[in-house]
Amino acid sequence: VKVLLADDDAERAGAVARVLAADAGLVVVRLKPNESLADAVALLAPDVVLVDMARPDRDALDGIRQVAALNTRPVVLFVDEDDPAFMEEAINAGVSSYNAIGMPPPDVKPILRAAVALFRRHRQAQDDLKQAESRLSERSVIDRAKAILIKQRHMSEPDAYKWLRGSAMSRGRRVVDVASDLIKSMEGNAG
Amino acid sequence: MSKPIRIGLLRLVDSAPIIVAEANGLFRDQGIDVQISIEPSWSNITDKLTYGVLDAAVMLPPLALAACIGLRGPKARLVVPMSLSQGGNAIVVSAQVAAGLSDGGSQPGLRLLDWLRPLQTRPRFAVVHAFSTHNLLLRYWLASGGADPDRDIETVVIPPEEVVGALAAGSIAGFCAGAPWGDVAERDGAGKILIGTSSIWPFHPEKCLCVGEVWADANPDLLHHLLRAVLQAQVRCDLPEEAPKIAALLADPAGLRLPEEACRAALPGGSGAELIRFHTREAWFPAQAHALWFLGQMRRWGWLDDQTNIEALAAQVYRPDLLASAVDAEGLYPAAGLPSLEGTAMLPMPNDDAFSPNGWRQR
Repeated sequence: VKVLLADDDAERAGAVARVLAADAGLVVVRLKPNESLADAVALLAPDVVLVDMARPDRDALDGIRQVAALNTRPVVLFVDEDDPAFMEEAINAGVSSYNAIGMPPPDVKPILRAAVALFRRHRQAQDDLKQAESRLSERSVIDRAKAILIKQRHMSEPDAYKWLRGSAMSRGRRVVDVASDLIKSMEGNAG
Repeated sequence: MSKPIRIGLLRLVDSAPIIVAEANGLFRDQGIDVQISIEPSWSNITDKLTYGVLDAAVMLPPLALAACIGLRGPKARLVVPMSLSQGGNAIVVSAQVAAGLSDGGSQPGLRLLDWLRPLQTRPRFAVVHAFSTHNLLLRYWLASGGADPDRDIETVVIPPEEVVGALAAGSIAGFCAGAPWGDVAERDGAGKILIGTSSIWPFHPEKCLCVGEVWADANPDLLHHLLRAVLQAQVRCDLPEEAPKIAALLADPAGLRLPEEACRAALPGGSGAELIRFHTREAWFPAQAHALWFLGQMRRWGWLDDQTNIEALAAQVYRPDLLASAVDAEGLYPAAGLPSLEGTAMLPMPNDDAFSPNGWRQR
């Protein structure tokens, strides 16, 4: 079974390819950067196509049977009619799967399941990274607000933090939002 | 408040009614909470509607129908309670092709045919999706000039934002795409607009609002208020004096990031070759006659088998009854009179047998 993998994220595509390659029955081909998805399907005649749902060129696979060159092997979206929850899971992970029609369908679900797991893990890692980055930037906002309080209101550092936390609690807001408002108001006054 | 209504759309000028409704608080005024999701492809919109990851979306009518038939995989249960826009697409050829066509004063369709006939390799034309109004109108136009769109051209699908680049690079000979891309191609000197799709079929339906049937059945009240807000936004979108503001909104870097000047050109009162209409001439009416035309053309090209009951499908997917209470509440049209719009929905009609849903068969 030949699997065409269309994912420009090299790290994620590598991980998916490695996992699938463990199955001796699968041959994994990766779409080259700037290669057209429709051309690759026509040229390589894959049995299964795994596509990153963030790709705008995924539309080229929809109705390829209706519009494409005569020699293209048609593909349709893989759907497990009996398992809508799994289909929703795949959508949320951001990966979809197509398979060639007009031949005995390969067992696509385990292939898609593996891709879904890796896409989800990748997304989780990205979310974690984003969260870590935003925590770092929140920290620097709070530090700047503290510096303003220390300098202009002659507070000690613990008192400055206590002041920020106290006004956040009394207004039902986050410390970083209060800090950011304080910075803005000081910048506003300066300008 | 209940959980927000999730609405999907693409980066296109005809997504304006949803963007305008959100920016002007029209959803909030109706007491509904909306979450807009900008999607990269029509396939994403369709998959997410099919599995209830989106509740509603700006959609291509032929794709909504194709999804319900099961042409792209699963048989989806989707309904179209309103149309969103009319017109706005352009058939564009590269500057090189246009130069070869410029001799003689005949119709662009006829000149294109003269150019197509002696070609050794089929020229490539791009559309935005197989099941798009663009593809069906391009094929209808070529065929009415005597060309066979399956034999005389090669059709490829390219995302709208990439068509102008593909034309400039010479990888396609032409395209049919929505605004603003025809005007962008002319501005960049990459191509020339041969014809606007409103010249092929005046006041042709373009985008629709599509909702999941399960969601629509479970949330009649939310749907009513959603439709009212969008109807109000369509009125605004049709006012030429609002166009500069709307173009700026569509260009918002935190939103759709569209080219502002080209958006302005395609909006009512604009300087573009082909304009979009959102409200006038009952642009909001989801006529089953429109669905029948799309289905009839799909059958014409052999995409549907003869067993497909296109009348039943049109009635299943296109649901003006779902819009009745909203147009009534907005004072646009009395609910009881709504069905009478069906009779006028195709007018004015091209003078061509192949135009009517079943007419091409009788030739």
